[in-house]
Amino acid sequence: MLTAAKNQLRVCFLSIKYNIMREMVNKVTFLTNVVFMVLNDASILVQWFILFRLRDDVGGYSLREVLMLWGLVAASFGLSNILFARVLSLPDLIINGKLDAFLVQPKKVLLGVLTSETRISAIGDLLYGVILVCLCKPGVGGFFLFLLFVIMGALAFTAFALLLGSLSFWFVRMDILQNQMLMGMINFGTYPDGIFQGDARVLLYLLMPVGMALWQPAHVMACFDGKMFLAVLGYVLLLSVAAVAVFYRGLRRYASGNLMEARL
Amino acid sequence: MNRCNRKVAGTLPYRYGFGGRHKPWRKYTVIYKSVLLENLQYVANVALGFFSYFVFIYIYNRLWGYMYRSPEELIAGYTKEQMIWYVMMTEMLYFGANANVVAGEVARDIRGGNIAYLMNKPYHYTLYILARYTGEWSVRLPMYAVFAVLIGTALVGPLPHFQWITVPLMALCAVLGITINAVFKLCISLFSFWIEDTTPFQWIYNKLILVVGILFPVEIFPEILQPLLKLTPIYTVCYGPAKLIVDFSPEKCVEILAAQAVYLAVGSGLMLLIYRKGVKRLYVNGG
Repeated sequence: MLTAAKNQLRVCFLSIKYNIMREMVNKVTFLTNVVFMVLNDASILVQWFILFRLRDDVGGYSLREVLMLWGLVAASFGLSNILFARVLSLPDLIINGKLDAFLVQPKKVLLGVLTSETRISAIGDLLYGVILVCLCKPGVGGFFLFLLFVIMGALAFTAFALLLGSLSFWFVRMDILQNQMLMGMINFGTYPDGIFQGDARVLLYLLMPVGMALWQPAHVMACFDGKMFLAVLGYVLLLSVAAVAVFYRGLRRYASGNLMEARL
Repeated sequence: MNRCNRKVAGTLPYRYGFGGRHKPWRKYTVIYKSVLLENLQYVANVALGFFSYFVFIYIYNRLWGYMYRSPEELIAGYTKEQMIWYVMMTEMLYFGANANVVAGEVARDIRGGNIAYLMNKPYHYTLYILARYTGEWSVRLPMYAVFAVLIGTALVGPLPHFQWITVPLMALCAVLGITINAVFKLCISLFSFWIEDTTPFQWIYNKLILVVGILFPVEIFPEILQPLLKLTPIYTVCYGPAKLIVDFSPEKCVEILAAQAVYLAVGSGLMLLIYRKGVKRLYVNGG
């Protein structure tokens, strides 16, 4: 069983590697995508410099804490889109019968689907997140904690996208819902939780994984709390298990299309 | 591979729409109408986009609610209500007249070779794209405008000192701003004739418009930067129309309309020039 898992991971790793190598055929485009994504992400810093000129804190966050939050969100989103970018087009695969090509392959369907695409610009997001957090000087321990939270954030982001995308097995137009909810998660996640109060705050913990996957990790990075760290870990594992279960439950309903497609 | 014939590449006067004997712009009106009718079939899809718009507005409502210490406080000369309405209006223009689809379409046409078919039609390709784009936002923008007014009134109350009589001027300013934005985005996409992927340049342009024009009015930036920002497209694309809506003054209106006229003329000239230079470089694969 261990060998099977090892082989599975090796196949996934090779899939991602070849995705990146394919994109690197045109080196100028590859580099432009990465560098300009870093610049694109960095340009939003202007907003925070403006806001911190007006007040010393925004939603109870200092500038350093906001930058750490941004670094965490950008790196999590980036890692998710490097490893599992196909999750964003899952509704299209399901609705148009494009899953057939993955079903006949001798590897786990879900992992095969998720790792079949890499967004090169996401490397820029990941780089930006790491650079931003390094500029905040979190220390060696803090940096490793950040890396752990980036992995958890990427898993939470992917799981949430998978959960919403898998609803396409039952309903149509889930691509729009998936896109809007993920954008909502990023938009809410990049602002301090202190500005949201009342019911909205509750919804952002229950309806979207913003609170547990992004805000709480940012709090733990600012002031370590072992119990909260374990709570975040448990939450991400639970969300991932639920997403995988919904996908395989939905896969039983999948009706094959008559689309002829080859994956080389 | 054949090098395109220069004459076919779009230098004939009729291709600009000026060569017809009667009503030279009629063909673009027909394109506009056909896209408008097509988009009217998908109003439900447009309404689905309201969620993202609402998320943005909700966040900025909370953010500015936090930044203003008291209801009477002024930041850069704006009250809290004016500041939130400013963001709502710029976001309305951004969502309602999203030019990303059009810019992406142009880049795909050039990279994929579809341009070879489109440029031989009896219209100028860039004007055809602009006519299509206008047909698209003519459906989306009014829907977003109604939604913006509804949630704006619900969240922060009616806009203070709003005069309905000035609406036609505001609408003209908004239409010019949208068109200028589309022209500049088209210019960037037309660089696909030289480089394979222009998307990264679109990101930077979009982010500049977003951060400097959509989220904040020009007055909030340091005074030393303000004259510089007024020289950029941001002033005519988002600041101008939104400023007139939240704080109308005849002098400001004349200033913004004049700046828009200059920007539209320069941008259009640039767009036609880039297209003309670009198609000369076009290689068409057979098949």
